[in-house]
Parts: sequence; C-alpha cells; structure tokens
Amino acid sequence: MHHTNIIDSLTGLLDRFGCLQTAQRLAADSAANGKVFSAIWVDIDRFKQVNESFGHLGGDEVIKDLARRFRNRLGGRAEMSRMGGDEFVLLIPKCDRVLAQQLAGELASTVEEPITIDNLTLRPTASIGIAIHDPGEDSLVLLERADRAMFAAKTKGGARIICSGDEPIPGRLGVVLAREELSIESKLHTALENGGLCLHYQPVIHAKGHIEAVEALMRCSVNGENIPPGQFIPVAEKTGLVIRLGEWSLFQGAMHARMLQDAGYHTKVAINVSRAQLISPKFTQALHAALICSNVKPELVELELTESLFMDISDTVQMNLKNAIAAGVGLAIDDFGTGYSCLANLKDIPAGKLKLDRAFVTVLPEDRRALAVVRAMTKLGHELGMTVVAEGCERQEEIDALLDAGVDAIQGFFYARPMPEEALLPWLQNRNMK
Amino acid sequence: MSKFQQDPLPQKVDNLVERSILDLGIPPCPVILDRFMSEMNKSDPDYNRLADLIGSDVSLSAGLIKTANSPFFGLRQRVRSGGEALVMLGLKNASRAIAGIILRKSFPNVPNLERFWDSSARISHLSGWLAQRLDIRGLRAEDAYTFGLFRDCGIPVLLGRFSSYESVLDRANREAVLSFTDVEGSEMPTNHVMLGCLLAQSWWLPEEICLAIRNHHDLLALESVNSKLPMLSRKLIATAQLAEHLLQQQSGLSITHEWQKLGAACLRLLDMEESQLEALYAETQSIVSTAE
Repeated sequence: MHHTNIIDSLTGLLDRFGCLQTAQRLAADSAANGKVFSAIWVDIDRFKQVNESFGHLGGDEVIKDLARRFRNRLGGRAEMSRMGGDEFVLLIPKCDRVLAQQLAGELASTVEEPITIDNLTLRPTASIGIAIHDPGEDSLVLLERADRAMFAAKTKGGARIICSGDEPIPGRLGVVLAREELSIESKLHTALENGGLCLHYQPVIHAKGHIEAVEALMRCSVNGENIPPGQFIPVAEKTGLVIRLGEWSLFQGAMHARMLQDAGYHTKVAINVSRAQLISPKFTQALHAALICSNVKPELVELELTESLFMDISDTVQMNLKNAIAAGVGLAIDDFGTGYSCLANLKDIPAGKLKLDRAFVTVLPEDRRALAVVRAMTKLGHELGMTVVAEGCERQEEIDALLDAGVDAIQGFFYARPMPEEALLPWLQNRNMK
Repeated sequence: MSKFQQDPLPQKVDNLVERSILDLGIPPCPVILDRFMSEMNKSDPDYNRLADLIGSDVSLSAGLIKTANSPFFGLRQRVRSGGEALVMLGLKNASRAIAGIILRKSFPNVPNLERFWDSSARISHLSGWLAQRLDIRGLRAEDAYTFGLFRDCGIPVLLGRFSSYESVLDRANREAVLSFTDVEGSEMPTNHVMLGCLLAQSWWLPEEICLAIRNHHDLLALESVNSKLPMLSRKLIATAQLAEHLLQQQSGLSITHEWQKLGAACLRLLDMEESQLEALYAETQSIVSTAE
C-alpha cells in the first residue's frame, strides 16, 4: 500500500489509517530486530457526558488537551493515534508486558489530572486495554485485541487497565465492527487505487416500453473478495471516503453515458450522489469536471439524491442543486416515502423524478393501504411535473398494481438485475431499446 | 466506428493503447511525436530513447498507464508511472501502437499547448531529480516524476473545450494574491485541479498523487493543522513547486506567482532554508542542460 501517515486534524496525532500503517511498520521492525512491541488502547470514561454538558467544542478542547498530555508524557517513546471520538491508541516499540503496564499506569494518571473548562474542573478517568504483539500476528488482530481488552476494562466500570488475555470472553458486536470497519476502510483505499471499483447498471423501464434510464450502482472488490455495498457504504460515509467514491462514480457514470451516446443510445445514466458530496462546496466543480471530461450531453446524466439529504437542506446544498440544474443534468429523489422524506422538501428540491421506496412495492397488491399511499404519492409527483418510478419490483402482480396506480416507470429484478458495464449494451441491443 | 461496435475487450493491445490515448482529451506534444517517428524510422531504433520520449509526454504516458491499469490486463498491483507501464506493455508493442496512431493522424486539432508540454516535461524531470538530490523521506523519485508530469493535466482539457480558458489561465498566472484556483473559479464552473484529480483517479494512480493534483494550489491544505492531506501529497506538491521555481529562476522568466504564494510553505515541508536555494540554482542549470 502506498499511504503515508494521515494526521488527525483535531489533535495532530495519527488517525486510524495512520495507526494501522504504523502498526504494520512496527510489526515488520519487530520481525527484523526480534523485540516485541505493544499497543495500548485508551478510551475516556463517560466522555459522552462531557460532550453533552459542554457541547462538542468543549469536548474537542478536552480531547486536544489529553493529546497534549500524552505527547508530553510519552512523546518520543510511543507512536500516538486518535482512533476517532475519545479513543486513542499508543504503539510502543521494544515494549514487553511489564513495560506496557507501567506506561499504561502513567497514561491513566495523566488522564486523571484535572481539566478546567468553563470554570468547572473535570477529573476524567480512562479504560485502558493492552495487547503485546505476538510474532507474525496481523496488525489488525493486535489492534482488535487491545480494543477488546479496553472494552473489558470499560465493562468492569472503567478507570482500570486490562491486558489482553486477562479479560473475560468478549461478546460485543461493536468490537468486531471496529476491527471490521478499519479493515474495510483499508480495503476501500486499496480499491480506489488498484482498480477495485466498478459500476453495474440496472435499467428502469418506462410503462410505454422504452428505457427511462439506467441506474449506476457501485461495486467494490479487493483481491477477489467482493465487499457488499451494505458494508462499504456506511464505512465510506463514516470516514469521508464517500466523497472520493462519489466523485469516481460521477466521472465513470458520465463517461459511460457518453459511450452509450456514441453508440446511438439516448439513455440517461442515473448516478447516486451522497449527502457528503452535496454539502461540499466543491460538488459543482466535480460535476462540471465529469461533464467536461466525458463531453456527454448533460441531459443524459441524472443525479439520484439520497433520502438522508432531507435531514438538512443547507444553502450549499441548494446552490449545488441549482448549479446542477443550470448545467442541464436531471435530478431524481431516491427512496421517497420513508426515512427522512418530507413533503415540504419536495417544493425545495427542483427534481424531475420521484423514486418510490421499495418498501411500498413489496407489499403490493395485497396491502390496500400501501396501494393508496402509492396512488397519492404518484398523483402528487405528477402534480409537481415529475416522472414517478417504483423500485424493487420483482413480480408481475406488483407491476400491474403500480401501473394501475399511475406509476410511470419500473425498476427491479423483474426486468433486469444490475449488470456489468460490458453487458449493458448487448442487453439494450437485444431488446432493441434505442 | 463507435467504440461499442468493437469487441468490448479488444484482442489487440494496439487498439487499447490507441483508445486510451485518444479518449484522454489531452493531445501529445507534436515535437515529441516528430522525434518519436524519426527514431522509429531508423533501421535500428534506440528503444531507450523512445522510452524517454514517451515518458516525457503527458498524453502518451497517461494513455499507457490507463492501458496497463485497465481490466484487460487484470494486474493486481497497478502501475504508477509511464516507465512501469512501458515495462508492462512491452516497449516494442507500445512504440508500435503509438507510431500507428501518429501515422493515422488521429490526433485532433488543438490549441497551442507549447508551454504546457514544455513545462510538464521539465518539471517532472527536475522533480524526479530533486526527490533524489534532497533525499526527501518517504518520497520515491518516480512518484515525484509522475506527479510533475500530471500535475496540470486538467489544463489542456480545459483549453480544448473552452476558448476563453486561455485568458483565464493568463490571469491566474499573473495573480499575486488570490489562489490560482480562485481565479479560475471566478470565471469557470470548475478548475484544472479538480479535472486533473478525477482523471488521475480514473487511471488508478496512487491516492497521494491524485490528492496532490487536487490540492497543489491550496496553501491551507499544505500548511494548516486541520489539513487532512497526506504528508506524501504535500511533499509531492512542494517538490514540484520547487522544481517550477528553479526552472523559472534559470530561465529568468517568472511566468507564475506560485512561489511567492506557496514557496515558504514548500521550503518548510522540504525542511529547507532559503539560503540553500542558491546552491540548487547552480546545480539546476547543469541538470536542465544535460536533459536537453
């Protein structure tokens, strides 16, 4: 891998990725010099209360102060990282169990020094987990053991140190998740520079028989292992990588729309855009860069806006959407009718397409109330001049009910599963879908 | 013939190279193409010289990287420079493919890109040399070379698409206070760093190189404590910026004002004092003249 250490912006320490890299480096050093190294995982107890009492800014001040204390106490002896939130990891070269326990004790007393904030004095404590690297052990496994030991200290009431191997058998999903997340984040970085991303396309069929659009869906695989979107998208959102993945798919989707255009197909490519992209002032630049590089007709690109966007439509989001419309691309509201969807937002977002959430489809035609809601949403969409699409259709009865309710277009396994880029054109040709 | 009327996985690498280069929207430098053809036309072409010529051209290098990193080859580890791509594709095959495109005169008419071709070739060469000369921790000379070559690859794309971009570029170059991209942003919906980053990302270049392209005019990203830009990206930016400065000192022409805006930060990143520059000015002269 080619990554260098990445710095946590709040504390100036390494971040999670930097931590993993450093652990890998220390593991290699350890194999060379035969000296073990240790990982110490520090989690501040009841930190949530600090955030609640003093706000996130107050919480950030405490985190910065703790990072400064750790540096003063152990600077030069340990590689320090902030794993996010109130969690720190210290990697200590040439450090056995005895030394690690001594240093963890020093850290605990460092944390317990009083902090004054808004004229109030806090006396924080920490739960600390220690893991000593086993020769040949994967760095991720080492970090997971330190995390698990920390959690054991926390479940015993906090303010204590536990060494990996001494803790009770773990059963916490969160521990596995933390390690899993770290591993998925690392795989996403690898995918971004090793050709591990691709787009699959699922056609949307209009009631009149023509292709309304194809939706681009991102797929990720690393060294032959497929990582399901349900796993990598939450991690991408959490780590901010979702912006780069989103820009990648914007670029590739626009390029593919251009290739379809060259092949004589006037088929829109619908590209999913995340909330993180749209709240960034750079979104418009990225969109135009994709349009310029692909030289595609802008009306052949459609942006699908995820429902989480509805949480907060800021001025930047409004401006980005306005710029997208001005650039000539279409907008579609995805997963409508559940989650954060709110009717008031419909008037604020200049979208031309409404995609009804699959939750309404799977219960059709039996669920008469769902059908009534679909009918009402479709009517509302039409009143607003929108094309209404139903997603997730797998059965003929669902499609009959949806078309009867006035829905304009259908997407789902019934017509086609998402297919790789190279399969789309033959599919279109077979169906004479020009 | 449209791309889709062909087999989606062309059996001939030649086709793939041709498609990759032509699809870039970045024209190769005509002088390089002339030199390339005159070498190819010799009874016993010097393939090392051909490799040097390919490596110094943005379009040819990018086209070869894109080809080598395409799914057709299915490499586990992607190539990260024109040189590595040449080794992958085979120098003779790649040269033959490039000669074929030149002979068919497939390249579109383009605006005058002399300055772009010239500066990208010189900056990449000098960046690669600086990475070794300064022994910058963690920085591979090959990455410094690749970054120097592709740093501004968004510029020819914008020049090809917008006739007004030439004057925007001129103003951005002369601007002493605002950042380069702020000047572009005041008149264009996008800028050359965003375009370059998305292009490099689509060729699967290393993340640090893509991020360096995206941020190479951004002082805050270089220096701010809140910056998330990887240290290697910052060092790449600083090295290429220093290379540009040295070249401008050497030519006596200060075409850009970037060193005034970013120079101090770059020196800090490279752990250098202003006083060390004098020695480099002298050395640069011999490096540049050797290269030419």
